[in-house]
Amino acid sequence: MEKAIEVRDLHKRFGDTHAVQGVTFDVRQGEIFSLLGPNGAGKTTTISILSCLLQPNDGDAFVLGHSVVREPMAVKAAIGVVPQELALYEDLSARENLDFWGKMYGLRGPALRQRVDEVLALIGLVDRQKGAVRKFSGGMKRRLNIGIALLNRPQILILDEPTVGIDPQSRRSILDSVKDFNRQGTTVLYTTHYMEEAQELSAHIAIMDQGKLIALGTHEELVHIVGELDRLQLAVNVPAEAVLEPWQATEGVHKVSAADGVVTLLVDDSNQVLPKLFEAATRAKARITSVDIQEPNLEAVFLHLTGRALRD
Amino acid sequence: MKLFDIAFKEILRSLRNAFFLFFGLGVPLLATVIFYFAFGGAGSGDGFELPVTQVQVVNLDQGGSAYGGFSAGQILVDFLRSEEMADLVQVTEAADPAAARAAVDRQEAGVAVIIPAGLTEVAFGPGKEATIELYQDPTLTLGPSIVKAIVSQFVDGFAGSKIALEVATEQLAAYNVPVDDDLRQQIALAYGQWAQELGASQQGGSNALFQLRAPAGEEAGNEGLLQMVALIMAGMMVFYAFYTAVASSMTILQEHEAGTLARLFTTPTSQGAILGGKFLASGVTVALQVAVLLTFSHLVFGIDWGEPAAIALVALGTVVVATGLGILLNSLLKNTRQAGIVYGGVLTVMGIGGMVGVFSGQMPGSGSGVDLASLVTPQGWAVRGYGLLLQGMGPLEVLPTTAVLLGLGVVFFVVGVWRFNRRFA
Amino acid sequence: MRILDLTFKDLRQLVLDWKAGVFLVAMPVIFTLMFGYVFGGIGAPEDLRLPVGFLDRDGGSVLSKGLYDLLEGSAAIRPVALDEDVDLEDLDRQVRDEDLAAVVIVPEGYSERLLAGELVPLEGVLLEDSAAGQTAQGELQAAVNRLVGAVQAAQLSAEMYEQEAGFAGDAARQSYFDAALDRALTAWEDPPLRVVEGSVGAEEEKTVETVGNAFAHSSPSMIIQFAIAGIMGAGEILVLERKSRVLQRLLTTAMSRWQIILGHFLAMLVMILAQVVLLVVFAQVALQVNYFQAPLGVLALGVALALFIASLGLLIGTLARTNEHVIIFTLILMFVLSGLGGAWMPLEFTSTAFQTVGHLMPTAWAIDGLENIVVRGLGNSSALAPAGILLAWAVVIFALAVWRFRTE
Repeated sequence: MEKAIEVRDLHKRFGDTHAVQGVTFDVRQGEIFSLLGPNGAGKTTTISILSCLLQPNDGDAFVLGHSVVREPMAVKAAIGVVPQELALYEDLSARENLDFWGKMYGLRGPALRQRVDEVLALIGLVDRQKGAVRKFSGGMKRRLNIGIALLNRPQILILDEPTVGIDPQSRRSILDSVKDFNRQGTTVLYTTHYMEEAQELSAHIAIMDQGKLIALGTHEELVHIVGELDRLQLAVNVPAEAVLEPWQATEGVHKVSAADGVVTLLVDDSNQVLPKLFEAATRAKARITSVDIQEPNLEAVFLHLTGRALRD
Repeated sequence: MKLFDIAFKEILRSLRNAFFLFFGLGVPLLATVIFYFAFGGAGSGDGFELPVTQVQVVNLDQGGSAYGGFSAGQILVDFLRSEEMADLVQVTEAADPAAARAAVDRQEAGVAVIIPAGLTEVAFGPGKEATIELYQDPTLTLGPSIVKAIVSQFVDGFAGSKIALEVATEQLAAYNVPVDDDLRQQIALAYGQWAQELGASQQGGSNALFQLRAPAGEEAGNEGLLQMVALIMAGMMVFYAFYTAVASSMTILQEHEAGTLARLFTTPTSQGAILGGKFLASGVTVALQVAVLLTFSHLVFGIDWGEPAAIALVALGTVVVATGLGILLNSLLKNTRQAGIVYGGVLTVMGIGGMVGVFSGQMPGSGSGVDLASLVTPQGWAVRGYGLLLQGMGPLEVLPTTAVLLGLGVVFFVVGVWRFNRRFA
Repeated sequence: MRILDLTFKDLRQLVLDWKAGVFLVAMPVIFTLMFGYVFGGIGAPEDLRLPVGFLDRDGGSVLSKGLYDLLEGSAAIRPVALDEDVDLEDLDRQVRDEDLAAVVIVPEGYSERLLAGELVPLEGVLLEDSAAGQTAQGELQAAVNRLVGAVQAAQLSAEMYEQEAGFAGDAARQSYFDAALDRALTAWEDPPLRVVEGSVGAEEEKTVETVGNAFAHSSPSMIIQFAIAGIMGAGEILVLERKSRVLQRLLTTAMSRWQIILGHFLAMLVMILAQVVLLVVFAQVALQVNYFQAPLGVLALGVALALFIASLGLLIGTLARTNEHVIIFTLILMFVLSGLGGAWMPLEFTSTAFQTVGHLMPTAWAIDGLENIVVRGLGNSSALAPAGILLAWAVVIFALAVWRFRTE
């Protein structure tokens, strides 16, 4: 299958901060590809380079064969970008926004009008096309924000954490829309720090942390990194630090980390290990107040690779 | 083409922005209307309406039977109360000098006229000297000076008679010619008659002793007070053109903060088109503002700005320099939160600096120290351009000033664009 | 206590915002200096009389010299002798640009013709619509009237002598006439009836005269104008509080609406009072504007002004929805209150209607109050009425702001 995006050893520095360090991955045409990682992992910087907003210090990336360094205009003509924050002219109407952005994508005259009508229908804002955007609800603004990126019928749609801070219903709607776009043939590059989104949407997932790409593959391939390890989340009635050492030393425990009063462990077999954990807790004068057992997932992968939870 | 799309979008947003309309049109019109109202409607052509000065009068001069009950002081009081003085002074008689002064201190009157006892004696008799005191509110200038002129002229009439009498008496005595009352009366009557004839020759707009004319060049354009309002209007126009230019260029920073600028950069639109569209919008907006204010001032106030070609040159210069400075200043800002310092600080100081000649009532281009000081700012050059228009200068005469404005504008523009290009590279 | 916590928080935000320092201190100082300079505060010549160009084409005749001497004695104008070959166009320009208040030209043969009994006009060039031109016109007219009066006095004296005794010949007559003319002109140097001006405060509160100090006029105006401008920063704090939902959060705490509004109000009050004090001290020390001659009066006015303007700031903060609204409302108020109140130009120079409207403005009262002290030289009691008016306004505006805040 042909590659829609090829990223080759990308580096980007901001002063002393090495925001992107040697990132390399490919996105196949027609797939949904997710960049997964916590805040500050370098996802947005990578996206910005692919959108030709930033120039890499080293390396290059190719979008449909066009270099982002040497052929930015060709790249921009082929992509649609949905930024994380809303980027709309709130004092203009929805139609005026789409009209303007359509022109920026090179659409004119009847072709522009027709495409604006199509996008308005697609995002469900036909009835509200003339009102000022400042009066829209948050969900409506988000839909318009996405609609703008669809004006030029992009071959590649790039979405930068589009579901941050929104209600579950709107989130569901966005995820369904992404799948729809993909079904229509659009390649999607999707960044998120929500494991379940990456899991649901993507054919391939790249996990980033601290500027580096630390894992790449399908969901099954990534989960296999942690093998058959179970993931346990235990809450205790004492500061979590009191049990970290005794539990780390417990047989069958591979990784232990604590955050927000909850201790997360990767263990061989939860049935075998749990009683030992209870004993260790008692010896440490702690009481386990809740137990959550999870099948291996991307959170576990991240924890395994970095020693930290995805949402640390 | 995209450059014009961006410019059009900017202009559309500006016209829908209340803040923008307020600064661009509302404020200069408001300020000019205040000045226009202040001077009672300059366009009427009647000139400046002199204020009616409240005057407290104390007449301690009772005259006396020796003078047939005649009192010089009462003549002065009657004169001040006369109909011909009614447009200039309104008289209230006070009980005593302290009361009159107190009334001035309380700002119930602008001037107190204190006529001393014995004025008649001095004027017509052997008395040596008398002084009429004018006690005035030091915060006033015009009213008291008018009252002083009136009272002085009156007093000089009596003084002249007294001097004539004394000179004749002393001179005749020096030549051993006796002077009796009959002779004194002859002298007084003769002088009085002469003074009356002289006074008559100075009535009705004519003056046999003094022919006045305005300085050459003063007749061009607008009459006196309207010229002053026109100058203020020009100052306001320039002042707010620069505000408009900064505000419209500031949309670059606003879009940067809102994320729409980054979004624009993700489209296949060149940076040149993006920034160029914004700068074009800024220039068009300022041009629109200048055109509206020039037209408004001409239609409503009747201000004659001069030859169309000259007006176009000065307006062009104003637009270019204001737009250029707006771009430069915005390129120096980190974000829109620093807008206040630009509006309130930099632009206001520069603007007032450029208008300092206007405030001192001097026509721009006079070459005085104040006028030259204003040329430190680009606003000063722009005001100079309008000043030249108001003095009836044509296209050739305003060309040097326009050239300076264009030159400054281009320099500001180039530096500002360079900075923006570096920032968004 | 919580009120003061809120007040200190606001003040801290203002102090940290260096732009506030520009608005509150730097700009009023700059503008005071600028306007004071423009209206003659710095570098003004020692002789403040209006210069009037004197072009003698009569070759230094007795009457042209006499006229010059009479003009020298004027309290309002001073003659500036011009060379005979001076460029007349340049003279016109100097009058137009008000470098000279006027030019008077004594024509050739003036003395001879006047002495022969002919009324010969002098030529005057001036701007009749300007204050300087009008003053010059008045003084020139008075001087020439005195001059011809002196000639007439001498003529009369000669006629009386002729009538009573008779001259021996023309030479005797001329000699007599010259002596009489000389006496008359000398008499006009110190006329028996004259007008003197006084303009200091009431006797019992007589204080230092500051009439000649142009900053005494610009300082009060600029203090008031920029005190109004200064509330922009405080108004923005309120707007930001509302937009960022911090206000809503405050309302979920134990603080009542009253406490919140009082906290903000106190911050504005302290800020404006500090500004007024700073500017008064600056004017006193650097510009010799004698505010300290009536310290209690200045304090009363300063406090009343601060209360009034702080109330305005509070009202703006409750009405404005965005920062831009704050700027618009503040500037409108500044223009209207300053422009109509006489901060830009003395109300004396405006139309009667404008003066009437102007004196409805509390700013006009504030300017009057401060000028009572620094220009009229009046004492503390002169500040009472203006301060009272400002306080009344403050109460009304504050009540409006509170009502608005409590109902939003």
